[in-house]
Parts: sequence; structure tokens; C-alpha cells
Amino acid sequence: MTAQTGQRPSPASAPARERLRRGSSLPYLLIAPAVLALAAVLGYALVRNVAISFQEFGRRELISRTTRWAGPDNYLRVLEDQRFWSATARTFAFMAVNVVLIMVLGTLIGLLLGRVRKAVRLVLSLALVAAWAMPVVATVTVFRWLFDTQFGVANWAMRTVGLSGYDQHNWFGSGLSTLTVVTVLVVWASVPFVALNLYAALTTVGPEIYEAARVDGASAVRIFVSVVGPMMKPFFLITTFLEVIWVFKAFVQVYAMNGGGPNRESETLPVMAYIEGMGQNQYGTAAAISVLTLLILLVAMSFWFRLILRQEKEGQP
Amino acid sequence: MSTTDRADGTGLPDPGRTPPAPPPAVSAGPAAARPGAWGRRTARRAGPRRRPLWPEALALLLAAVFVFPVYWMFATSFKSNSQVLTRDPVLWFTPTFEHYATATGVELFWVYVRNSVTVTLGAVLLALLVALAASFALARLDFRGRRGMVLVVMAAQMAPWEILIIVMYLNARDLRMLNSLLTLTVVYFVMALPFTVWMLRGFIAAVPRELEESAMIDGCGRGGAFFRVIFPLLAPGLMATSLFGFIMAWNEYAMVLVLNKAPQAATLPLWLTRFQTNFGNDWGATMAASSMFTVPVLLVFLILQRRVTGGMAAGAVKG
Amino acid sequence: MRKLTAALAAAALAAVATACGTGNGGGGTGALTVWLMDGSAPQEWLDELNAAFEEEHGVRVDVEIQQWDGIQDRVTTALSEDGTVDVLEIGNTQTVGYAGTGGLAGLSGLEDEPWNEPMLASARLDGTLYAVPWYGANRVVVYDRAIWREAGAEVPATRKEWLRALETIEENTDAEPLYLPGRSYYVMGGFVADEGGGFAVEEDGRWKGALNTPEGEAGMAFYARLHSFSDAPADNDEASPQQSTEIVPNRPVASWIGLGWEAAAAIEAIGERGQEADFGYFPVPGPTADRPGHVFLGGSNLAVSERAGDRELAEAWVRTATSARWHQRFVDAYDGGVVPARTDVTARPAEGSFAEAMVASADAGYLPPLTGGWSYVETEPNPVKDLMTRVLNGADYRTAAAEADTEITARINRD
Repeated sequence: MTAQTGQRPSPASAPARERLRRGSSLPYLLIAPAVLALAAVLGYALVRNVAISFQEFGRRELISRTTRWAGPDNYLRVLEDQRFWSATARTFAFMAVNVVLIMVLGTLIGLLLGRVRKAVRLVLSLALVAAWAMPVVATVTVFRWLFDTQFGVANWAMRTVGLSGYDQHNWFGSGLSTLTVVTVLVVWASVPFVALNLYAALTTVGPEIYEAARVDGASAVRIFVSVVGPMMKPFFLITTFLEVIWVFKAFVQVYAMNGGGPNRESETLPVMAYIEGMGQNQYGTAAAISVLTLLILLVAMSFWFRLILRQEKEGQP
Repeated sequence: MSTTDRADGTGLPDPGRTPPAPPPAVSAGPAAARPGAWGRRTARRAGPRRRPLWPEALALLLAAVFVFPVYWMFATSFKSNSQVLTRDPVLWFTPTFEHYATATGVELFWVYVRNSVTVTLGAVLLALLVALAASFALARLDFRGRRGMVLVVMAAQMAPWEILIIVMYLNARDLRMLNSLLTLTVVYFVMALPFTVWMLRGFIAAVPRELEESAMIDGCGRGGAFFRVIFPLLAPGLMATSLFGFIMAWNEYAMVLVLNKAPQAATLPLWLTRFQTNFGNDWGATMAASSMFTVPVLLVFLILQRRVTGGMAAGAVKG
Repeated sequence: MRKLTAALAAAALAAVATACGTGNGGGGTGALTVWLMDGSAPQEWLDELNAAFEEEHGVRVDVEIQQWDGIQDRVTTALSEDGTVDVLEIGNTQTVGYAGTGGLAGLSGLEDEPWNEPMLASARLDGTLYAVPWYGANRVVVYDRAIWREAGAEVPATRKEWLRALETIEENTDAEPLYLPGRSYYVMGGFVADEGGGFAVEEDGRWKGALNTPEGEAGMAFYARLHSFSDAPADNDEASPQQSTEIVPNRPVASWIGLGWEAAAAIEAIGERGQEADFGYFPVPGPTADRPGHVFLGGSNLAVSERAGDRELAEAWVRTATSARWHQRFVDAYDGGVVPARTDVTARPAEGSFAEAMVASADAGYLPPLTGGWSYVETEPNPVKDLMTRVLNGADYRTAAAEADTEITARINRD
């Protein structure tokens, strides 16, 4: 990597993208494999998913390979279901809390990485990498277990510290408590991505800026807000975008932790769609939920799409 | 990790090591009474280094917090069954390898390993190849529909794969492509593709155009310029990107559960869950299996990470 | 685990012989694929049966042992594929549901065997036989003789005596009188059945949840009374943590309610800790001494896929496996610890064994509503379990039961 700063190319440098002579087929040839693969596998699946959302599709239809059209029934049923709306609200709250925690903690740890001596930085980085690399399947098992009512290390630690009420404290006793444990897991697993990348990104910016700001007498917070922040804007923009999507879609972490329970109080949209689909074999209803989820997500993310596309435009000569 | 990569040719400066550059025009706030954290460190550089200890202590504490679940997984895998579930955790024990024997003793274990490796590598390589072409076009060429394609790549990352399982199943069934490693490879490849395109595009954008152009002036064709100039510079980016595809494909469980029901077409994530049954959970074996399952990812990570984060950041900052 | 490994070994050998990775679709490969659930068939019995069958019919039998995790998805999808599976084991509460999808072949040729009538009910839909019973099993109370002796408690014959015994243990020992997790819904269903109620009732061809009734309330009240003797949390079921291997061996438990394989697993786990289990067994007591309490008559059926490669061959395997000769050997392999599916086969349990207590209470067995939709009620999140947790945590029974009934009604009428 020879590029070192996040500045836009100066007018003297070459244009960012080459305008080919009119009608050149090169770009289309280059993107064709990706477009075809996405269309054939993902696009076709999405189209068929939409088709199923307008069908009465249960295990009878699956096994006997029949089609029963149902019109908008599935959508009406889902939209009338109070559970869908509470799951939507829950999903957004869960997403917001997680993304904020991930970004804040990730940023702080990333900055911390830049401050500590080499050996300590190596230790912390390795720990972060280990957390990042641990497979979700294994992570959920261990967390479920660290927070076990009877044998959990969490309760043991609480007792050891001397807190009362943790003799057989049930961490999965309410939806909020369950989602809190899930949040700990998701944040734990996602912070390394942000922290390590932020640290690496900071090193590409170079220390001159800090020096300069320091000479001007700016405080650490001030330096971060007015110097590092703006410089890292593309980084934060994209990372937050990815985290929002990832947390919104988080399924295994929520479902494997407590199956959306107790009493369906930790049910997020992906979990609800899965329970309706794979659990209750109401594939039509599940498809409707997934289509609605996707629409909601698209609307919620349109802000980001605009921001990132605008950047796209700025990149043009 | 990143501390060592200063010397690896990435050319990334280490903050606090490089001499200060002339101050650019930064609007300074009101002069603070005390220098800030970032400033304090450099201020002390001239004299003997006596930094405050709390950041180091905090970093070590955080390291312990982050590594604990991983440690617990490995530790449990070496405990005997009676030490696994106890009211007060057993911290000192004589390690046993019986759980590893149980975990690897599962029939077809090596078939699962082979399948997992085949599918994961196949999907990652396919994704890199296809994404490389697409991301080059997106980063370097201007054409009608470019922004549309960027939008598609962004939106494709929202694909709700868990929900699409049944549709993927129906498609594979109707095409008579169940129990096939090829199907699985293609599905994982497409799952990894949007993110791979996204990342590679950033990396390619970060390679200065001048390099490519001078190569073209020197008589290379566009293809030659790409392969002689851009490609070598992309190596870290390709590695960084492949890691994400690797983790995704290596971990995938829900899809293979219904797509590949034949035992000889199963992959390791299915093996991972088989020690938790209705007849009791063999926690030791589960953790041994999880540990073995994690090690390859850790290794790949440790081999690649130096390049991963450096390159990744460059890509992201360049957006 | 040993049994599982052996079974997998058999499956693996079979699998290696077939072509790799291209699927076994289409049937007609000359092999018969049989799906049995993990832990169902004694390995020796299965090997000998298949050897005999292969010799007689000249085809190979591939047994694929299925894990319970994710089984619903696998069975549903497998039944929609040609030739993936020929014969499969299906839980008795699930059979009618699959029969209703058209995925199971009718087995009219097996109508005339001397089946155990109550078990047959779970295999029939609209007069057609879609499966045959394979075995049944029900829960009994397992107790630690030493603790009961120490406490001076006596084996009860009625609910009243049962509660008295538990009180005696609580007063005289440090042991947990009864380990009863909050969500053991089939145990609770037995208490509701004792009162004459059930999970749901049929009215004019439509089912509706029936827990918001005096019978439901009384059944749950007795469950809650028993649960008060337990240290078990209100939101665990008997499988998580696994009561037999993760609870009983690790702390002094005077008694618990379990199945035969659970008692065996607990004995083994206690042995691993260098101790010896001293278990006694008695049927779950009923309100009166003349008959034990209702227990869920669990079990499995054997069915043939409508899309099987060779349906006649598949039916032949089922016929052989459940024939009087092979079924007697099956029952004997379990030391009489299963309820036989045929009237011409008898279980001969040893005195004082689990099997003896089980057979004594099998007549008071009950089944949940045999409808296509019942399997959806059982699927997590299970509304009956949620109701139990809520009530044990102090919620008003009537309110919670009304909500559970709504959910049961919505699910039980699904195809």
C-alpha cells in the first residue's frame, strides 16, 4: 500500500476512473460474471421468495409439490399481527444499541491500540483476533453456558465478587435480559472488526495531523472530533453501514441463545421469520415477513445509500 | 500484529515514530491547559519515556475479557466430564484428550473435513476471481450503469439468507442438485460475492492510477498493466477479503442442513452440533470439536492478519 | 455415545459404497435407505435384522441414523425428494401430520397384524394406515433408595402419599426431594388428564386449546405443588440441562421423573464419578390408589415414503422389522424396557426394574390430540411450556392459559 492519506486526488493527478470510448464492452464483460451469479442464485431466489409470499405454502405444498395462490393474505395476516410490529420495534432497538456500542467501544479500543507499547498492543490484538475468529456456532454455545443458571461462570463470578441474588440467577428469565446477553455476545464478537480496522486506518492517516493539532493546543477529544473524525468519515460511514446490516440480520446469535424466548420476548424479525418458516412450516407467511423486513431495511438504509452514492459521485472527475 | 507490519513493506507509518510534518491548516480550538492524550505522548518523546500506565493496564484487561470465552472453550475441551459442569468452575485440572478422540473418532470425520475444505476454498477462490473483474470495472472504468451496479452490490449484502433457505432448497431440488458439494460451493460463493466486490473495489481504488498508466506507457496493454502493476499491490487486499469469505463459508450451518442430507456430503458445522443430542450433551466433545473447528480460522487469520487490517483500512479509507 | 458411534460406523460403511457427492436421488439404486432416530435401535438387533433382510431380498440396507436437532426440516424436505429415504421412523405425535401431507405411503398390507390398539391410533388418518407402531415408552418416578431410606419415606400409591413422602424427605435430609424442571409439559399433561382434561378439544371438526379450564388449572396446580419441592428453574425443560447426565449425578436428588434411557444414562454418569447408583422406580401416582397417574405414551412409528424408490421393498422391511419374531428380540434387547407394539409380543421386565414400573403405568397412558397440527404446537416456542413458566413465575393461570389456548388453536388446525 503506497497510498497514505485519505485525501482526494489532486487536480494534477489522473482522473479516478477512465472514461472509455463510447460503446466499449469491456466493463460489461468484467461485471458480467458477478451480475450473472447474483442474478441466477440470489436474484432468482428473491423472486421465488416473493412468489411464495403470495402463496399458501406449507409442508403439504412442499411435499406434494403443488401451488396454491393466496393473493395478499399472507401480508394482511402479518401486518395485522401485533407480534410482527413488536418484533420490528425490538429489532430496531436491538440494532441501535448494538451498533452504538460496537462503534463507540470499537473506536475507543482502536484508539487505545495506538497508544500502548508494542508488546501490549500485540497481546490485545491477538485477543481481538481470537474473538473475531471464533466461529459463531462455538461462540453461542460458550456464551449460553457462561450464563447458565446453575453452572454458569457469570453467576459464579457474581457470587465470588460478593453480590447476592446470583445463586441461581436466570440470565434468560426475560426478553430484555436475554437480549442483553445476546448484546454482550454480538458486541464482543464485532468490536474487534471495528477496533483493528480503525487502528490500521489511523496508521494510514499518519501522525503529522496530530502533531499539528497538538501544536495548536487542541485537546484529545477535540483532535478526535475535528481532525480524526472527518478524516475517517468514509471509514465510519462504511463500517457503520455494514454493522447496521449485520446486526439487523443477526439470526444465529439471537435464536440459538434462547429461541426467541422466554414467551417470545426476544424475538427479532429474522427469528420470527425463521420460526414461522422452518418451525411452523408456514413458508408463505415467512416469505411475506422476509419481504417486509427487506423493505423496512431498505427504507431505513436509504439514508446511507444516498450518502455512499454521493461519495461515489464525488469520486468522479 | 500491526506493530510488526511497519517493516513488512506496507509502508504504513507508525504514529509517534515519524517526524512531524509541517502543520497543515487545522483550525485550532481554544488552547487547552493540558495537552491531550495524543499530544502528551509525542511531547514526551524527546525525554526518557515515562508514559502513564493505565492505558497498558486497560489494554491488558480488555485482552483478558476478549480472550476469555475463547480460553474457556479450549480449557473445557481438556476437562474430564465430571469437571465440565460444576457449580464452582474447575480452574486447575489435569488435561485429558479423550474429548478430542471422541470428536475425531466420529465416522466420516475426514470426509467432513475434506468437504468443508473443498467447499470453503472453492467458494472463496471463485468469489475472488469473479469479484476481481467486477471490482476493477467498478473502481477504474466509467460506464453506464456503474452506480446501479454499486447499488446492487450494497443492497445484496442485505440478503436474508436464513430466510431464503427454503427457496434455495426448492431450487436445488427442482434442478436435482441436492447433496452436491458443487451446489454448496456456488451458494457460498454468491453469499460471499457482494462483500468481496465491495472490499476489492476499495483496494483497487487505493492503487494510484499513475502506476498503472506508466506501465501502459511502457508498453504494457491494459491487461498487462493490471497483472504486472495492480495485481501485486492487491495481494494484501485479496487476502483480507478472502478471510471474510472463508469465515462465512467455513461456518455455514443452516443451508447445508437441508441441502445436503446425505452423510457423505455433510460439512464440519453439522459435525460440530452432533455432540449435543436429545440424549445428553457431550459438552467436552462439543468444545473439543469447536476448538478444532476454530484453529484453522485462527491460523488463517494469524497468517493473513498483518495484511488484512492494513489493507482493509486503506481500502475503507479510500472508499 | 458408543451406540451412536457404532451406528454411524454402519452408516458410514454404507455411505462409502455409494457414489460421493452426487446425491442418491432417483431411487432404484438397489439399496434401501432407512432413517432411524439416534438412540432408537439396539445396534446388534439392527445388524442382525438387516443381514437377514439382505439375504432374503438381495438388496443392501443403508441405515442413516438421524440426529434430533433439525429433524423436522430434514424429514419434511426428504419426503419431498425422490428416493432420499424409503423407510423412516417418525414420532407418534408427528405421524398424522406427515400423513396429511401426502408424503407417506398407505400401508394397507399391514392392517391385519395384531397391533397394540391404543398405539395404532397415532398411525391412522381417515381410516388409512400410514405407519405402524414400533415401540412405546413412558415416564416413571426414579428415586434414590438410600435417600428415601435415610428420610424414612415410603413409596407412594396416591398423590397424597407422594406429597407426604416428599415432605418427609425435605424435612429429614439435605437432598432435593424431587427434581422437576418447570417446562416438562408432558408430565403436566398427565396431571391434566388425571382431572379428565386435555391440551385441546375438538368441536365441530375444529380443534381448540383447552387449558383455560378447571381441569387444566387443577393439573397445573398440582404440577406447581410438585415443582415447589424442586430447586429446578421454572424455565428449563428436562433436556436442557439434561436431567439424567447433568443434574442427577451432580447433586443429591431424591427423585425425578424420567424415561428408561434417562435412568440408564444417569446410572452410567454416576458410575463415571466413581459412585454406584441405587435407583428404585414407581409409576407416577394417581389421585386414587386404584390406578396410577396418566403418563404420556411416547413412542415411534415406522412409515414408508410415498416417493420411496421401491415401496414394496420398503414395506417388506417394515413388515420384517415389526414381525413377531424380530419385535420380540427388539423388546428383549431393551430388557422389556419398551412397550411392545404387538399383542403377541410381551415385555418381560425384571423385578424392581424401570421396565416393571413402566409397564405398570402404561395402561394409564395418554396421547396428545392426534391431529396434523399437533406437531406445530409441540414445536418451539411451545405455548404449553411458555404457559407453565409464566404460571410458575407467578402469572395468573386463567389469563396465561387463555393466551396459550389462542396460540394452540391457531397452530393445531394447520395442515
